[in-house]
Amino acid sequence: MTLPFTLLVQLSWRNLWRHRRRNGMLLAAILVAVGTVVFANAVIRGYQGDMLNDAVNNLAGHVKVLAPGYRADPSIDKSFTIAPDWQPPLDPSLVLGWTSRVRVPAVIMSERETRGVQLVGVDPERETLISFLGEVDIIGGYLEGPADRRVLIGKALAEQLDTRLGRRIVMITQGSDGLNREAGFRIVGLYDGEGTGVEKVFVFTGRETLQALLDTTAITEISVRLIADEYGALAGRQLAASFSDLEVMGWRELQPQIAAMFAFADAAIFIWFTIMMIALGFGLINTLVTAVLERTRELGMLRALGMRPRAVVAQVVIESVLIIGVGLVLGLAVGVWLVSLLDEGIDLGRWAAGVEMFGMRTVLVPRLLVADLVLVAIMTMIFGLIASFYPALRAVRIKPLEAMRR
Amino acid sequence: MAELVANCRGLTRIYQDDAVPVQALVDVDFDLAAGEFVSLAGPSGSGKSTLLNLIGGLDRPTSGDVCIDGVALSTLNEAGLSDLRLNKIGFVFQAYNLIPVLSARENVEFIMQLQGVSARKRRERAVAMLDSLGIGDLAERRPGELSGGQQQRVAVARAIVTHPVLLLADEPSANLDSKTTAELLELLTRINREHGVTILTATHDPVVMGYALRHVQLRDGRIVSDEKADSVAA
Ligand SMILES: Nc1ncnc2c1ncn2[C@@H]1O[C@H](COP(=O)(O)OP(=O)(O)OP(=O)(O)O)[C@@H](O)[C@H]1O
Ligand SMILES: [Mg+2]
Repeated sequence: MTLPFTLLVQLSWRNLWRHRRRNGMLLAAILVAVGTVVFANAVIRGYQGDMLNDAVNNLAGHVKVLAPGYRADPSIDKSFTIAPDWQPPLDPSLVLGWTSRVRVPAVIMSERETRGVQLVGVDPERETLISFLGEVDIIGGYLEGPADRRVLIGKALAEQLDTRLGRRIVMITQGSDGLNREAGFRIVGLYDGEGTGVEKVFVFTGRETLQALLDTTAITEISVRLIADEYGALAGRQLAASFSDLEVMGWRELQPQIAAMFAFADAAIFIWFTIMMIALGFGLINTLVTAVLERTRELGMLRALGMRPRAVVAQVVIESVLIIGVGLVLGLAVGVWLVSLLDEGIDLGRWAAGVEMFGMRTVLVPRLLVADLVLVAIMTMIFGLIASFYPALRAVRIKPLEAMRR
Repeated sequence: MAELVANCRGLTRIYQDDAVPVQALVDVDFDLAAGEFVSLAGPSGSGKSTLLNLIGGLDRPTSGDVCIDGVALSTLNEAGLSDLRLNKIGFVFQAYNLIPVLSARENVEFIMQLQGVSARKRRERAVAMLDSLGIGDLAERRPGELSGGQQQRVAVARAIVTHPVLLLADEPSANLDSKTTAELLELLTRINREHGVTILTATHDPVVMGYALRHVQLRDGRIVSDEKADSVAA
C-alpha cells in the first residue's frame, strides 16, 4: 500500500496552522537564515568575481604558456616561437580570446625620472578581448596594431615620471644577444587602472616593434582567456599536450595568493551556511519534537485506526519539509531582493585604502549565481530532512494503547 | 451455525510493567458470530478493555491467540496488524476519537482515505453516512465545534462507513448523558440490524447492556457468565 500522500500533507499543513505563533517564529528564523546566507553569498561571490577578474586580467588569462625558467628570470632568452597561423588547440567555443606577447623587464626614463617597469609588446586588438586593456579608461589614444611604435603607460606612472601625453620617453632593455637596447617612444595614451597597481607596472607597445628592438621573432608568453573559469583545467591539459617542452600554467599557479583568497572565500560561504543550518536544525528539531509530543494521543489514535508506522513517520517529515520549504522560498525571495537593492554595488570608497590591500575594488557588486541558490535550496532541504529524523523516531515509537490511555 | 468473526482461544494477558505482574486476562475462550451484538460487562479492572484490545489487534496476548475473520493475529507483524485494523475493524473509543484538524466529514473519510478510496466515492459515502445518522448538517464542523454525543456519532459513522467485519466500542457512552446514550445505542442497534455489523461493546452501563443481544460478564480476567438476552429494550 502506498502512502496516503494528500491526506498526510493535509494533516501536516493544518497542524502547522494550529500553532501559528510557534511555527511563525520558526518560519521567520528560516527566512532570516536563508535570506542572509543568499545575501552574504552574493557579496562574497562579487568579491571573488572581482578577484578572479583582476587575476585573469593582469595579463594572466585563465591559462598561460611560458618558456621554462621565464618565471624565475623573465628575459627574452626564455622565449619560444609559434607559427604565424598558430591557433590554440582548444574547442573555439570555450575560448573568449587569446594572444601572444613579448614581455621583458625594462627601465623607463623621462627627462626627469627613471623607473623599472615591464615592457609588454602586444597585439592591441587581441589584447582588448582578454585583458584589462579592454576595460580601462584611456586618456589619449590606443595602440593601433602590433607594429605600432608608440607606448601606452599608466596614469600613475606618468605622474611619477612627471611626463605627459604626447611626450617622448626612453626605454632600455636587454636584447636577445644580451646587449642593452635603447629606444625612444612617444606616449600615445594614459590608461586608468583604477588604482589597482598595474598602472605603475605595465608599459605597452606593439609586439612587432618590441621584437624588432630585441632582434627576435620569438614571444615570451601565450595567454588564453576562456568563457568560464571551470574550463581552465581542461584547456591547461590540452595546451600542455601540444607544448611538451613549455610550461602551461593556470592563473591559480601564477597568482597563488589570489587563488588562496579565492578558496578562503569559498570556505567562508560554506562555514557561514553550515553554522546557520545547525542553529536552525536545533530550532527545527525542538519545534517538531514539541509538535509530536503534544499530539501523542492523536498520533496514537491514528495508529490505532490503522495508519501504518511509516505513514506516521512521513507525516512528521512532511511537516518539516513544508515549513522548511515555505521558509526557504521566502528566504530565497528576500535574499534575491536584498541583492537586487544593491545592483549598483556597495561603495567601499570610505575604506578604499584598506580594501585595496585585499584586491577589492572600491565598488563591490554582489553577484547571484543560480548554482549557489540551487545548492542553498538543496542543502536546506537536506538539513530539514535530517532534522526531522529524531522527531519522526519519537512519533513512530508511540504505542497506540499507551498514547490513548493518557 | 453462523461463521465466526472473532475466535479467541486460551487468551491470557499478563502485564509485567509493575513489580507485581497483573493478570488482566486468564485463559479466556471467546467467540463472536457474524451479526451478533454483544455487551461485555464486569467490575472495573476485570479485563474488558484488555479483551477488546486483544481482539482489535491493538495489543498482543501473553499466550493464546485471536483469529479475526479466519486470520490468526499472531501471524501478523506491526504493519499487518495496522492493515487488519484498517480494513476489518471499526473502533469507537471512549473519547478523543476524532482528528481535531479535520471536519466531521473528513474524519469519516479518513479510513477510506487510508484505504485508497477515490475522493469522489469517499465524499459521497461519508455524506450519505452522516445523513443516515442524522448529523448531515454537522458535516463541515470540526470536532471542537461538536458536542460529546455528536462526536461519538461521527466516530460511529467513521467506524462503520467502510463496512468492517467487527465494530469494537470501549465504553462509548462513558462521557454521555442518558438521553444521548440512548440515541447512540439506538444507532448501534440500527446498524447491527440493517447493516449486519457485528458489535462488541465494553460497558458498565445497564442501559447499554439492555440493547445488546448477548451479555458476557468478566471478573478478575475470567468469563463468569455468557448468555443471550431474553428481551431487547425498545
Ligand atoms: N498497560 C497496563 N499496564 C499494567 N497494568 C494494566 C495495563 N492495562 C491494564 N492493566 C491492568 O489490567 C487489569 C485489567 O484492566 P482493563 O483495563 O482491561 O480493565 P477494564 O475492565 O477495562 O476496567 P475499566 O472498567 O476500569 O475500564 C487492571 O488491573 C489494570 O490495572
Ligand atoms: Mg476499560
